[in-house]
Amino acid sequence: MARKALLISPELCIGCRACQTACKSWNQLPATKTVNQGTYENPPDLTPYLYNRIRYVEVPSETNMVRWLFVSQRCMHCDDAGCMRICPAPGALFKTKEGAVAFNKDKCIGCKLCVAGCPFDVPRYDEKDKISKCHLCSDRIAEGLSPACAKTCPTGAIAYGDRDELMAMAKKAGYEKLYGEADLGGLGVLYAFKDAPKLYGMIERPEIPETVLFWHKVLKPLSYIGLAGAVAAAALHYIAIGPKKDEGGEES
Amino acid sequence: MTQLIRKATTFEIINHWLLAISFFLLAITGFGFLFRLEWMASIFGSFNSMKTIHNWSGVVFIISLFGTTFYYLPVSLSWSKDDMEWLKKAGGYLSKNVKVPPQDIINAGQKLFYLFLLIFGIVISASGFVIWLMPGVRQWVLISHLLHNIAFDLLVIAIPLHIYLGTLANPGTFRIMVYGTVPVEWARKRHGKWVQRLGY
Repeated sequence: MARKALLISPELCIGCRACQTACKSWNQLPATKTVNQGTYENPPDLTPYLYNRIRYVEVPSETNMVRWLFVSQRCMHCDDAGCMRICPAPGALFKTKEGAVAFNKDKCIGCKLCVAGCPFDVPRYDEKDKISKCHLCSDRIAEGLSPACAKTCPTGAIAYGDRDELMAMAKKAGYEKLYGEADLGGLGVLYAFKDAPKLYGMIERPEIPETVLFWHKVLKPLSYIGLAGAVAAAALHYIAIGPKKDEGGEES
Repeated sequence: MTQLIRKATTFEIINHWLLAISFFLLAITGFGFLFRLEWMASIFGSFNSMKTIHNWSGVVFIISLFGTTFYYLPVSLSWSKDDMEWLKKAGGYLSKNVKVPPQDIINAGQKLFYLFLLIFGIVISASGFVIWLMPGVRQWVLISHLLHNIAFDLLVIAIPLHIYLGTLANPGTFRIMVYGTVPVEWARKRHGKWVQRLGY
């Protein structure tokens, strides 16, 4: 099956946050009480009950009072996902056939290692200490529907479809390079930015932490190679040189 | 009749077994998590209960590791020319014709092993407690995760060697961790300085 993705176009976003509401509605997530922080941005960050949100970035501008950038923030559904690499509980995080990084709360052991493995600071934990994040409406897309956020978006700022088609579409619209095209094996959420990603509050070059990669590639195989080596060395010593016996033979 | 002398106290033996059993549980559950072994998790109930067992075995491990310091730390830190000589001759393990210098209650190799275990035992425990008790604190968890796994790799190499040297490689040694006593003549050959100090 062709990999599915979201294409986020901040230029089209009007900051209505219908995506946030639709997400909560579909995923049956409760509202959270927040306080006015002098911005329309609300809530201030992702929570266990807020899988996606619009980041409101205010950039000084010469032509207007301010340049307002709206960026949809959520799980990026990385192809090579740091959370999945580090997770010790099989099935807690898994890839759907559409390429979404979904989760199963029943399998989650609440260790929060995925928080450390994620380059985007996405995973949150609910009050039962279980993983909670955007799963690209894996239950909807499995049935051929689009995710709630994309379905509800009135301007097409969040577009859902085949990843290749979305990329071709954005290129046609004049975006030479998309954010997330090649990072981490290619993200499942692509961004059509007019300016440097940093301006939109994105990490310039997202990467799985070096320590996690080193652990995965070197330390993990070394554990059983080392153990087997030690046992083999002991066996070899026993055969080739033999135990230290007292002269005259001793019962032991 | 063979004369026996006491090499390990009852507390020391119990402490050693607590350390051994907790390490064994930690190591196998550790492999279970490292390679996401479903069959291993099913032995312990689930990945959730395996995590509980892993974490609390860690508590037993660090307490019993602390218990060992009373017995092995002072002697492990005292080094003599004989110890260096013993190391140079690899403890006589590589050839039957090598004579090694007399050793204290534990030999130079055991001293090194103990210091190694103490250092990496502390590293693996401390990093484990960070992962357990400071979840989500990204930088701390990342560095702890790295250290936890480095120490794990080193310990799963060192402990099997320790078990081999304490059992098959040296007949008569294992009984120390059962009865705590050894025949005087056995001890004289391996721990000459100690036996002499005791006045045998």
